[in-house]
Amino acid sequence: MFNKILIANRGEIAVRIIRACREMGIKTVAVYSEADKDALHTQLADEAVCIGKAQASDSYLNMERILCATIATKADAIHPGFGFLSENSRFASLCEKCNIAFIGPTADIIEKTGDKSQARNTMIEAGVPVVPGTKEPIFDAKTGEQYADSIGYPVMIKAALGGGGKGMRVVRAKEEFESNFNNAQREAVNGFGDNSMYIEKYVEHPKHVEFQILADHYGNVIHLGERDCSIQRRHQKMIEESPSTALDEATRKAMGEAAVNAAKAVKYRNAGTVEFLLDNKNNFYFIEINTRIQVEHGVTELVTGIDLIKEQIKIAAGEKLSYAQEDVVLRGAAIEIRINAEDPSKNFAPCPGTIKDMHIPGGNGIRIDTAVYTGYTIPPYYDSMIMKVMAYDKDRESLIKKIRSVLGEVIIEGVTTNLDFQYDILNNERFISGDVNTDFISNEFGL
Amino acid sequence: MDLKGLFKKTTASEQYHERVSKGKVAETDASPNVPDGLYTKCPGCGKMILTEDLYANNMVCPKCEHYFKLDAHTRIAMVADADTFEEWDAGLEEKNPCDFAGYEEKVEGLKRKVGIDEAIVTGKAKIDGRDVVLGVCDTRFLMGSMGQVVGEKMTRAVERATEQKLPLIVFTCSGGARMQEGIVSLMQMAKTSAALKKHDEAGGLYITVLTDPTTGGVTASFAMLGDVILAEPGALVGFAGPRVIKQTIGQELPKGFQRAEFLLEHGLIDNIVKREELKDTLSKLLKMHEVPKNNYMQQYKDYLDDMYKKKVDLDAEEFEVNDLGAWDKVQIARSNNRPTALDYIYLLTKDFYECHGDRAFSDDGAIVGGVAMFGRQPVTVIGHQKGINTKENILRNFGMPNPEGYRKALRLMKQAEKFKRPIICLVDTPGAYCGLGAEERGQGEAIARNLFEMADLNVPVLSIVIGEGGSGGALALAVANEVWMMENSIYSILSPEGFASILWKDSKRAQEASEVMKITANDLKELGIIERIIPEFPVVSAENINRVTTNMKRKITEFMIKYQAMEANELKEHRYERFRKM
Repeated sequence: MFNKILIANRGEIAVRIIRACREMGIKTVAVYSEADKDALHTQLADEAVCIGKAQASDSYLNMERILCATIATKADAIHPGFGFLSENSRFASLCEKCNIAFIGPTADIIEKTGDKSQARNTMIEAGVPVVPGTKEPIFDAKTGEQYADSIGYPVMIKAALGGGGKGMRVVRAKEEFESNFNNAQREAVNGFGDNSMYIEKYVEHPKHVEFQILADHYGNVIHLGERDCSIQRRHQKMIEESPSTALDEATRKAMGEAAVNAAKAVKYRNAGTVEFLLDNKNNFYFIEINTRIQVEHGVTELVTGIDLIKEQIKIAAGEKLSYAQEDVVLRGAAIEIRINAEDPSKNFAPCPGTIKDMHIPGGNGIRIDTAVYTGYTIPPYYDSMIMKVMAYDKDRESLIKKIRSVLGEVIIEGVTTNLDFQYDILNNERFISGDVNTDFISNEFGL
Repeated sequence: MDLKGLFKKTTASEQYHERVSKGKVAETDASPNVPDGLYTKCPGCGKMILTEDLYANNMVCPKCEHYFKLDAHTRIAMVADADTFEEWDAGLEEKNPCDFAGYEEKVEGLKRKVGIDEAIVTGKAKIDGRDVVLGVCDTRFLMGSMGQVVGEKMTRAVERATEQKLPLIVFTCSGGARMQEGIVSLMQMAKTSAALKKHDEAGGLYITVLTDPTTGGVTASFAMLGDVILAEPGALVGFAGPRVIKQTIGQELPKGFQRAEFLLEHGLIDNIVKREELKDTLSKLLKMHEVPKNNYMQQYKDYLDDMYKKKVDLDAEEFEVNDLGAWDKVQIARSNNRPTALDYIYLLTKDFYECHGDRAFSDDGAIVGGVAMFGRQPVTVIGHQKGINTKENILRNFGMPNPEGYRKALRLMKQAEKFKRPIICLVDTPGAYCGLGAEERGQGEAIARNLFEMADLNVPVLSIVIGEGGSGGALALAVANEVWMMENSIYSILSPEGFASILWKDSKRAQEASEVMKITANDLKELGIIERIIPEFPVVSAENINRVTTNMKRKITEFMIKYQAMEANELKEHRYERFRKM
C-alpha cells in the first residue's frame, strides 16, 4: 500500500480523496494554486505545495510542477480526481516514467478510449451495442433508404461536414426519407461543398444511464449498478440518481454485462464509467467510457456501501478486487443535487464571491460533500460547483421527500447559487413521477 | 474563519510504522524520480521542457522559441532526405603544429566522447531528390573551432562540389579559428575562401545557414561568402565576440546586438529562416538556382495566349491609348491605390523568394528583390517598392531608395548573371532619396555604378515602369534591353514640381510643367525612349489587374523568347546600341 498520496486536484473531490486517505492511514499531500492557499483541501492535507498561479494552466494543469511536488514530498502515488489532468494520457504516462503510481487507468487505456471512433469499433467487436450507423459515407437517397430500412426508423441523416443543424434531418417514416435526404444533401453541398452523408439511428428522448465499473490489475471487472443522469442542462448534469426508474431487472442485468464487456474489451483498469443512451423501449447504446472517478460517484457509494475512492487506491496499489459481482447489491435509493455558485436568472453565469454565512444540514441518510466554509472566497478561476447534497432512503418516494426537506435547509449567504432552481426541479410533477429524459430541463423550464 | 493549523494530521497506519521500522520506506531505484533525459532545461526561458516535445518541435523550445544548438547529425537528418547522407573525409590525421601541450589528448578525448571526428561533418546528400554537398559544423567539438582538419575537410568538400557541379550548403556554428593550432588555423580562412572563389567562378551555388553562434575566423571566411546567406532566428553572428567588444570599447551593447535579426536589418544576410521551414526553403532555393535545360517558353506563351483569348475578345482588344492628360497620369501614377512592385511580382511570377540586404550597411525597404519562377524559367525580379499606407510608406521610405537599395539591386543582378537568370525590373519611384545619409554613403556613386554595371550584364534585362519613373533613381533600374511603360505611368528627368521650380521658380506650376515635359508613355514611345506601352484598360485596379498582368505575361514570354536566343555579347551590344542612339 502507498505511504503517501499527492492529490492533483482541488475543491470537494480533493477533500473527498484526502478523507479516504486519512481513513486508510495514508499521508496526503495537497497541491494548490496561489488562489487556493486558504482552500479546504490545502488546509486539510498533511502537507501542501503551491504549484503556481491561479490560472489552471499554470497550476492544476502544470504537469512538471505536479511531478516535482510529488517527488519532493516523496509521495508514491497521484490521485488526479476528475477534470484537470485526470484523463490526460500524457500525464499518466509521465507518472509511469517517474515511478509514480497514477490512480486510474494506464496512459494507453486513456488514449484508446478517448479516441471515439476507435472506441466505437472496439465496442462493435466486443458485441457491445452502439448507436447503429453507416460506416462509410452515402451519396444517394436510394442506398440511404435501404440502410434506414435495415436499422428501423426514426433515423438521423447527417452531413459528413455538417454542423449547427445544417445538412441534418430526422426521418420518422420510410415515405419521408427520399425528400429529406435530398434536402439535407443539397444543404450540405451549398453549405460545405461536400455531398457525403451519414445515416444513424435516431435515439428519441433518450435517458442518460451510466454504469460504474471497477477493474483490478488481474482482469477482474465488476459493475456497481447504474446512475441515471438525465437531468442535464446543456449537457451539464444537475441531478443524478441510483437506481434509475427506467430499468427493470433484466435490462439492468443486460446493461451491467455490456458495461463489464466494454471494460474488458479495452482491458480496463481502476474505476471507470460506461455511459449509455437508453430509449423508451429499453434499447441501450454505448456512448463512451469515462476513465476517471465521476462527480456523482457518491450516489453509487450510498446504494452499494462501497467506498469507490478507497477501492481506486487499493486497485492502484496492486490489490485484487475485494468484491465479486454477486457481493454488489443495490439497496434503497440515492440522489445527488449539484449546487453551483451561478445565477440561473443570468443564463447560469458563474457567481464567485465570499460566503458570508452558511448552514449545512445533517441528519439520517444525508451526505454533503463540499469544500466551502463560512468566510471562504470562491475564486473565479475554476468550476463553479461548490457542493454536492446527497441523500439516501429506502425507496425513491421517501428519498424525494427527504432531499427536498434537506435542500430547504441549506443556506448559503453571500453568493448566488442554483439552490432554488434545483428545489423547483424537485417539486416538478414529471420529475417526481420519474418520467424524465435528457430533454427534461429544456421542455419543462425552457432552458 | 481561518483554518490554518486547526485540523489534526493523518494517523499513519500501523503497517506504515512497521515499514518505516523495517527500513522499507527508504529511497530505492523504484522510488519516484524524474529519469535522466525526460526533461530538458531550456537555456532561453529556464523552463523544463519534455524532451520528446523538444525533438518533435525541431529542438526549438515550445514555450519561448529558443533555438537549441544542434549536433551535426541531427542537423543533417533534419534537412537531408532519409538515408541519403554519405560522409566524406572522416578521420583525417590530426596535427599539432604548435606542439600545444595536451592538445592531442584533448582531441582524442573529444572524438570518443562526442562520436564525431572533428568540428565539421561533410558529405553528399539529397534534398527533396536533388544532390547537394553538405558541410555542418558541430559546437560540441572545441566550440566548432576551425583548425587544419576543419579547413581541409571544408576545402575538399568545396573542391568536390565544384568538380561534380553540385550546390554546396554549409551550416556554420563556430567560435572561430582554433587557438591551439595558431597561425595554421588562420591560414584555413584563406584556404577555404580561395576554394569558394573557384566554386563561384565555376558558377556553383553556395548557400550558408548561420546558426548560433557563428563568430571569428569562420564568420570572416566561409560563413559570409554564400550566394544566399540564411540565419536561424536569434543566432549570434559576428566577427569579434560581444564580450570582447564590450571590454574593448567599455560600453554596454544594445539589446539584440549581433543577433540574426540585427544582421538582417543591417543588410548582412538574405533572410532568417525558421527550422520548421528550413528544408522547404533550401529545396526551393536549389530548384530556383538550376538553369533549366528547356524552359518551355513557347509552350508557356501558347498557354497564356489561349487562356487570355478565352477571357477576352482579342478583336475588341485592339488597344487604343486612353486620352487622359499628362497631369491626370501624374496623379494616377502617384496614387496610393496603384498596384505596387510586390503586387506585380506575385501576379507575374510564382514562388518569389525575397533576398535582403546590400551585405554592407542595411536592407533598404524601398527596393525589393529576389528570385522567382516565370513559368519554368527562374528569373531575378527587382523593383522599387512603395507602401499603401503611411506605416508601410515609412518602412518603404515612400519608394525612394538609399544607396544601399541600389547596391542590393546590383548584388542581385550580379547573382542573376552568375546563375544565367533573366532580370525583370519594376520601376516606381519619385526619385532616389535626397538626404544626409544618402549623400554620406554615395548616392551618386551607387546610381552611377548601376548604370555602369547594368550595361555589361550578360543576361536579358527587361524594365517596366509601373508608376513613377523619377529621374536617376529610376534609371538605375532601367538600363535594359527593353523598357516598357504601363499606360498611365510617367518617366521623367525629375518631378513636374522640381521642373517648374527650377525653370520657372514656381513649383505650383507643376501641372503646366507636366504637359510640356514629355513624360507619358505615349510621348516616350514616340521619342523612342521605350519599346512598349502596357494597356491598363484604361486604369489598372484591383478589379482588372489579373487581365492586365496576364497580358503582360504574354508580352514577357515574347521578350524571353527573343532575348534568351541571344548570346551574352549580343545582349550587351544590343543594350549598348539601344542607349548609344539616344
